[in-house]
Amino acid sequence: MTHLSAGPSAGPPRSGGIDRRSLLRGAGGLGALGALGALAGCGAAARPADDIAFWHLLSGPDGVTMSELLDGYMATDGAATVTPTVLAWGSPYYTKLAMASAGGRAPDVAVMHAARIPGYAPGGLLDEWDLDLLGEFGVRQEDFPELIWDKMMVEGKLLDIALDSHPFVMYYNTEIAEAAGQLGTDGLLLPVSSPEEYREQLLALGAQAPSGFGLSWGYLGDGSNQWRMFCTYYTQLGGTIELPEGGTMQYQEELAIQAIEYILTLIDGEVGNSSHDGGTAISEFATGGSGAFYGGVWEIGSYRNEGVPFDMQVIPGVLGRPAAYADSHSFVLPHQSSPNEERRRNVHAMVAYILKNSIQWANAGHIPAYSPVVQDPAYADLVPQSHYADASDYLVYDPPAWFTGSGSDFHTYFGNDMQNVWARRAEPLEGWNAFVARINDLLAKPSPM
Amino acid sequence: MTTADGLAAPSGARTGSVPAGDTSHLTEGRRARRRTDTLRGWLYCAPFLIAFGLFLIWPTIYGFWMSFTGTSLAGTNTQFVGLDNWVEALGDANVWTSLGNTVWFTVLSTVPLVVVALVLAVLVNTGLPGQWLWRLSFFLPFLLASTVVSQFWVWMYNPQLGLVNTFLGWFGITGPTWLQDPSTAMVAVVITTVWWTVGFNFLLYLAALQNIPESLYEAASLDGAGAWRKFRSITLPQLAPTTVLVLVLQILASLKVFDQIFQMTGGGPGGSTRPVLLYIYEVGFTGYRLGYASAISYIFFFLIIIISIVYMVIASRRSVKA
Amino acid sequence: MTAATPTLSRPGPAASAGATSLGRRRKKIPPARIIAFVILVVLAFAWLVPVLWATLTSLKTEAEAAAMPVSIFPKSGFTLGSYIEVLSAGRVPRWAWNSLFTSAMVTLITVIISSLAGYALSRMRFAGRKLIISMILASIMIPAQILIVPLFQLMLTLNLVDTYWGIILPQVVAAPMVFILMKFFDQIPYELEEAALMDGASRFRILLSIILPLSRPILGAVSIFVFIGAWNNFLWPFIVVNDANLMTLPTGLQTVISAYGIQYAQNMAQAVLAALPLIVVFLFFQRQIIKGISTTGIAGT
Repeated sequence: MTHLSAGPSAGPPRSGGIDRRSLLRGAGGLGALGALGALAGCGAAARPADDIAFWHLLSGPDGVTMSELLDGYMATDGAATVTPTVLAWGSPYYTKLAMASAGGRAPDVAVMHAARIPGYAPGGLLDEWDLDLLGEFGVRQEDFPELIWDKMMVEGKLLDIALDSHPFVMYYNTEIAEAAGQLGTDGLLLPVSSPEEYREQLLALGAQAPSGFGLSWGYLGDGSNQWRMFCTYYTQLGGTIELPEGGTMQYQEELAIQAIEYILTLIDGEVGNSSHDGGTAISEFATGGSGAFYGGVWEIGSYRNEGVPFDMQVIPGVLGRPAAYADSHSFVLPHQSSPNEERRRNVHAMVAYILKNSIQWANAGHIPAYSPVVQDPAYADLVPQSHYADASDYLVYDPPAWFTGSGSDFHTYFGNDMQNVWARRAEPLEGWNAFVARINDLLAKPSPM
Repeated sequence: MTTADGLAAPSGARTGSVPAGDTSHLTEGRRARRRTDTLRGWLYCAPFLIAFGLFLIWPTIYGFWMSFTGTSLAGTNTQFVGLDNWVEALGDANVWTSLGNTVWFTVLSTVPLVVVALVLAVLVNTGLPGQWLWRLSFFLPFLLASTVVSQFWVWMYNPQLGLVNTFLGWFGITGPTWLQDPSTAMVAVVITTVWWTVGFNFLLYLAALQNIPESLYEAASLDGAGAWRKFRSITLPQLAPTTVLVLVLQILASLKVFDQIFQMTGGGPGGSTRPVLLYIYEVGFTGYRLGYASAISYIFFFLIIIISIVYMVIASRRSVKA
Repeated sequence: MTAATPTLSRPGPAASAGATSLGRRRKKIPPARIIAFVILVVLAFAWLVPVLWATLTSLKTEAEAAAMPVSIFPKSGFTLGSYIEVLSAGRVPRWAWNSLFTSAMVTLITVIISSLAGYALSRMRFAGRKLIISMILASIMIPAQILIVPLFQLMLTLNLVDTYWGIILPQVVAAPMVFILMKFFDQIPYELEEAALMDGASRFRILLSIILPLSRPILGAVSIFVFIGAWNNFLWPFIVVNDANLMTLPTGLQTVISAYGIQYAQNMAQAVLAALPLIVVFLFFQRQIIKGISTTGIAGT
């Protein structure tokens, strides 16, 4: 008993010693495991300078082309190894990119839509490109169209290097157009200049099409596609939108309603189906079911694979000057807390290589931003790409704000409020005003960046 | 809390295994031990307490503070904005619809998760041949990661290529587009959830069923009670404590739904399945507004606390009556 | 297939085991039992269908998987092509290692720190003990999911975003496990320690050589519960890791897609591969896992 009760009071020094030692041993074991973890983590933290981590959101035909371009780069002398990571298009991608940049261990280079950059850059989540370094690899300011260069400079810094512009355009089935007598002697769709004329043309196409529809456009559940369509015709009418932070949305209501009402005539059940989603519209055109299709240039690859005979053009400016709603895929340097100079150099080399070889990218439908490629005779031989190359004269991007750009909330909200208008369950003004109110709410808040 | 002290008490009593007469010795020894034990006790608890403080308590406090700031993902706007975020959250229709979706998911999923688990457990407990197979089939999905479950079921629900609509097609039924249709998306997610997690409740019920004394059934048999009668008057009452437990665990788990909805529908179509945790993610990380996301988190936290308190009040009333 | 074959080929012995238990009851088989049996067979099959269907798809060619009308068995026969593709080109092996490493670390650290704390709270009387216990119990009410925002912010401060430690550390706080271990230690008779204390053994030695060996079943149960939880955890690793090379299986599968567009057979092959490790472990340790889940599940959540 004495032992027992005396034990603890006598014990501490001795037992404490053992305690500490054993604890230390335990801690040592943990430390060893930790070291193992650090070692395994090294793969990311201390990658060699010639190993480039590259994120993009291009999947399908675009993804394949990008992989080929990267293979091409890696086959050049002294090239670094590029490890691409593909994330799902839209908010999953942008969310992860922002979180990675905030964490300071972002990928070395990433693709972003140019229209998203003005909202993203002020937070310091992007690093600057080195124009001198790019010059070393043969890429200079004068190689970019002015309109695109303006998009690349944000707040006086060169934050993105545009790879392309990818406008919203018109596809038409050449066989159906020929049968409908709508092809000119040059093999292109006859030009039209008024809404009435255009309607006649689409109805003529529809009369020859198995589905009976002249035009396929899908919008259900796809805010982006609704916005592209609206923006095209609103801009044709001369409408503009400004989104001043702390203010309210500046727009021309009459023109907006006029554009909406015009679009409704295109999905009236005669010219086009009144309730298509994106996928259905694509398959309708892809299977030769309809005369024409509105969509992004990136569908070229899948229509080719389907074997449907088609050509393309800028959406006719029947309400005014033509407009080509577009965005640009561009390269950015996500913020890294301690970038490796050598690797940054390799990234510049990689981007320069891709720009110079973007004729391959043009194959997938996009209009290369790097002018020497577009001016090359080889580009003129690309059909139908060269038939809509004039789109770069009519480019219109999203109005700059922290919440706009491809796959942004801006598009989602537009879809949420306007879907019922397209489906004829709400009046145009009603839907439009709901959208404006939502955007004004966002403008009232300070930019989180 | 009282339970813990109650449970620890016996061991505390046992420490005093010192002759009752030797009181002076006892108190002196105790005091000494108390001192060293205090140091040592905190030392032993230290690793846990450090992690506990750093990764649980601190974020809980810090998150509350963040809800009064405009903190963004890029680390800008950290200034104090007072109740702005809270006022905005209370007036944000998306907060209320996503809370509504969360509650709706909880209601829709809890009932089948309890009833199906009970039915499965009772069926398996009848001792039918193939015990090993039954347990495997019903419990196996619980071991799968949410991503795996979601990928399996997105494929099952694929409108054209999925097995669900193929199966319906055999009977001449054209299945809906499931996850793309606001009227079926939530049901589809609930079916997946039941498939995935019912195995856990099933095991709890099975364990409880095996603890019901056989003698109760034998006595009832002597009284000439049929199977249904025995189930109603013996099995169900004996399972009551388990049912309460399963129900509470299930409600709390269902309220925290995120994974499978994020993965299967992304909250769509049109926000019709978006639970509150997904909205917090969207606001905070997709929309960069961490401060505002914190305010919504705390509104949700208060909801959970209220539900827990209601449960505790009911439970304590019941135990008083018992 | 791998998951399903043992299931389908094993009813023999299981059925005979069931038959003996039937025989023990010395009853004729009543029709109700047959109906119950049929219902069970149908339900069990229905429960396995999603797994079987995914497995079947993963063994088809891409063209066959996307072919209309849907065929249950591919006309051109089964192929392991998707698995070969996924294992050679994808990051699945890397993610599997990440999952294994982080889950093992989470389990190890959780068990160590929870045992130490549980032991102190069970065996030592000290100032603040009750406070700690109340804090631990109260904290069980805090849903970890609402902490993603401040926790991410904390990880930014600690510079742990996109690291293994960022995944591991926040997961080691398992208040219910401390509580379970404490309750279990309470039930171990104190007399066993008295002798050791009398021999002058330290507390730590007693914990290592007496308490822990006696607690093997509960330690096993806690480990299983924690490991499965960490292995399958989605939300936190998804928030804290953006680097595809550090992702765990559940997050990688969800986040990273193929540059070649949607490939159904490969998707299913990935999912089946991700499901496989725990299924195999389960087949080996079925009894322990079920017991572990029942004990820790009841007390723990």
